[in-house]
Amino acid sequence: MERIRSFKDKSFIIFLILLLGFVVIWAASVGAVSIPLKTTARIFLSRVFGLSFLFGKASWSETYEIILLKIRFPRVILAVLVGAALSVSGVIFQGIFKNPMADPYIIGVSSGAALGATLAFVAFSGFGVFGFSLIPILAFVGAVLTTLLVYNLARVGSRVSVSTLLLSGIAVGSFLAALTAFLMIFGTKDLHQIFLWLMGSFSAKNWDHVKVMFPFVIFGLPLAFFYSRELNVLLLGEERAQHLGVDTERLKRTLIIAASLLAASAVAVSGIIGFVGLIIPHMVRLITGPSHKKLILASTLFGASFMVVADLLSRTLMAPLEIPIGIITSLFGAPFFMYLLKRSKKKIF
Amino acid sequence: MAVVLDVQNLYSGYNGSLVLKEISFQIRKGEFVSILGPNGSGKTTLVKAILGILQPRSSSVSINLGEDGLRKLSELTPKEIARRIAVVPQGLQFEFAFTVGEIVSMGRTPYLRRFQSETNEDIKAIEEAMAFTNTLYLRDRLVTELSGGERQRAIIAQALAQKPDILILDEPTTHLDISYQIEVMELLKKLNEEGVTIITVLHDLNLAAVYCERMILLKEGSVYVDGEVDEVLTGENIKEVFGVDVLIHSHPLTGKPYITSLSLISSALSSQKGNVHIICGSGTGSSLMHSLHEAGFMVTVGVLNVLDSDEVIAEKLGIKVVAEAPFSPISEKSFKNNLGLIDKAQVVVLADIPVGEGNFKNLVAAEKAVEKRKKVIILEKTPIETRDYMEGRAVKQIEKLYLKGALKAHSEEEVFKLINDLMEIENG
Repeated sequence: MERIRSFKDKSFIIFLILLLGFVVIWAASVGAVSIPLKTTARIFLSRVFGLSFLFGKASWSETYEIILLKIRFPRVILAVLVGAALSVSGVIFQGIFKNPMADPYIIGVSSGAALGATLAFVAFSGFGVFGFSLIPILAFVGAVLTTLLVYNLARVGSRVSVSTLLLSGIAVGSFLAALTAFLMIFGTKDLHQIFLWLMGSFSAKNWDHVKVMFPFVIFGLPLAFFYSRELNVLLLGEERAQHLGVDTERLKRTLIIAASLLAASAVAVSGIIGFVGLIIPHMVRLITGPSHKKLILASTLFGASFMVVADLLSRTLMAPLEIPIGIITSLFGAPFFMYLLKRSKKKIF
Repeated sequence: MAVVLDVQNLYSGYNGSLVLKEISFQIRKGEFVSILGPNGSGKTTLVKAILGILQPRSSSVSINLGEDGLRKLSELTPKEIARRIAVVPQGLQFEFAFTVGEIVSMGRTPYLRRFQSETNEDIKAIEEAMAFTNTLYLRDRLVTELSGGERQRAIIAQALAQKPDILILDEPTTHLDISYQIEVMELLKKLNEEGVTIITVLHDLNLAAVYCERMILLKEGSVYVDGEVDEVLTGENIKEVFGVDVLIHSHPLTGKPYITSLSLISSALSSQKGNVHIICGSGTGSSLMHSLHEAGFMVTVGVLNVLDSDEVIAEKLGIKVVAEAPFSPISEKSFKNNLGLIDKAQVVVLADIPVGEGNFKNLVAAEKAVEKRKKVIILEKTPIETRDYMEGRAVKQIEKLYLKGALKAHSEEEVFKLINDLMEIENG
C-alpha cells in the first residue's frame, strides 16, 4: 500500500471519527436482543451524552434502554477507552524505542499484571474489597511495580539506555512469567478463569470499570498529544534530539510513565489484550506517516474502533459463548496486517 | 569582535575515560574555524562537549548570550543552548519517512512550547532556512528518498531554522562526492559572510585550507596548535600530528597552502618525463623547480649553499641537490658532483644568478654541459651585465656559452616551453 500523503489529513481524521461513531452504535445494537440502529443512536445521544432535549420524551422501549445502559454501552465504551489507550501506548513505546517490535507490554506491564491477577485468583479467590474485585487492583499494582522495577534496573544515574530498558524488560518479564506459572500450579481450580483473564475480555463490565479507566485516558491521551513534537524529534535519534534542545532523559521518563499507566489501566480492566498496541500504530502510520500529531490522533480513533469491532465479534461469533477478545484481535487483526504488509511496497517503519 | 564561544581548560570523555584534556580556545563572532586532527584525536567528542550533550554539561564551556555576556553551559537549559548553537552531525541517517518540510520545521523545537503551534516568525525562519539551502523544492519529498547532497542540505536547513549564532559541523563533507563537497563548503562560506560563526570538523586539510581562516589541530585529545592556516599547516605539524611526510606548497590558483603526500610525489617520479638539471641560487630557481617538478620531470640542482633559499626549497621538494657549506665558495669536490648530475640530465638550465668568484665554477659546469652536447638553456630575466661581479669575466663566459650552442630564454615560462619541446624531440 502506497502511503497516501495526498490524503487530506483532516478528512482522514473526520472519517475515523465517523467510523468510531458508527461502530459504537452498531456494536451496541447487536446482541441477543437486536435493537434498531436508530433507536440505539437516540438512546446513546440522550442518555450517555445528555442530549435528551434533542428527542423530547423517550419514545423507545424501556427494555432497550436498560439493556443498552446497563450492559452494552459500558462494555462498548470500555472497549473504546481500552483500544485507544493500548494504541497510543504502543505509539509512544515505538517512538521511544524506535523499534517496530515495541508494544505497550514491552517493559513488563503484561507480566506484572498477569502475576498480580493470578495472585488475586489463587490467594484471594478474586475477593473484593470495598465492593471492588481484587483482580484489577492487583493487576494494576503488579503492572506499575514491574514497570518501576524494569525502569530502575535500566537506569544509570539519571540516564536510561533504551536497549538496556528493552533487555531488562525481557528479563523481568520471563522471571514474572515463571512466578505466574508457579502460582497456577496451586490454583488448579481457578486455572480456566485465569486463562480467560489472560486472554482478555470485556464480558460483564459495568460503568465502574469505565470510571476507573476514564481518568487515565483523559489525562494520558492529551499528554501524548502534547509531546508529539518532541516524539517526532526523538525519532531522529536521542543525540539529534538533544541538539535540537530536547531534554531527552526527562522526555523518556515522562513518556514511559504515561504509556505504562495507560497500558496498566487497560490491562487492569480488560486483561491482557495482545496485538492491538503493536499493530494499530503500524496500520495508521501507513496512512499518516511518522508525524506523531496525526499518528496519535488517528491511532486513538482507529484503535478504539478496532477494539469495539473485535469485542462485537468476540461476543457474537459463537453466541452465547464468548471468545476471549485477545483471540479475536490476533485471529482477525494479524491476517489483515499481513495483507497490508504484503501490499506495502515500502518500508513501513 | 566579541567572543561567542569560550572553552577554558576542558576535560571530557565517556564513562570515566578521558578523551579531551586541557582544551582551551576562544572563538570570536564571525570566525570560520576548522577543527582538524587524525581519527581518534577527539574531534567529535569536542563537538559533543561544546554542545553540552556529554553529561554533566561542562562548566568549562561558555557561550555568549548577548546582553547577559558569557554564560556557562552548565547553567543553561538544552533549549537555551539550542537557540545559540546548531549542529550538523556526522552521517545522520533518516530512518523515518518524514518530509523535508517536517524535518526542517523540527529546527524550531527550541523556540516552541509543547502545545504551541508555529508562529509567523517560526514559519519565516523555516522558509529562510530552506531558501538559503535551496531545499524549497524538496519540501514534500520524503527524507528517506533523498540523495546524499540533498540530505545534507536538508540537515543544514534544519540547523539553520534554529537561527543559531554558531553553527558547528562534524565532517559535513564526508561521504559526499566532490561537487557536493564544494556545494556544502560554499554554503558555509555564504553563511559565514552573513555573520554566522562557523566551526567545522574536517577531514580534508586542503578543503579546510581553502575555506577556513583559522585551524585548531588536535592531537590525542589536546590542542596541538591553534592559529592561522599558514601557521598550522606546516610540514612539521602535519608530520607530528598525522605521522606522515607531506609537502606544503601554495596552490597556484588560490594561493592557499596545499598539501601533497610525499608518497604521491615519489610515485609521480616513476612516470618521469626526463632529467633536468638546474644551476641556480638565491631563489632564482625556485619557481622552475616547482613547475618542472610538478610537471613530472626528474629535477636535480647544484651547486647551492646550504640554507640558500633555493636549497631549502629543493630539500622540501625532495629534489637531489649538490650542496656546499654555507657561505663557502664551490669546492672542487662539489664541482665534480655537480658534473655528475649534469651527466644524467638531458637539459641543463642556468638561472639568472648573480656571478662572483665563489660560484663561478657553476658557469664552468654549464660550459662542460654544452661541450657534452647537453641542451643548455640560459635564463636571462635580468641581463648578465647587471649580475656580473667579476668585472666582465662572467659576461664573457655567458657569451662563450651562447657561441657553443646554449639557448636563451627571457622568462621561466619560456624555459618551461623550451624544455618541453626539447624533450619531445629527445623522446621522439
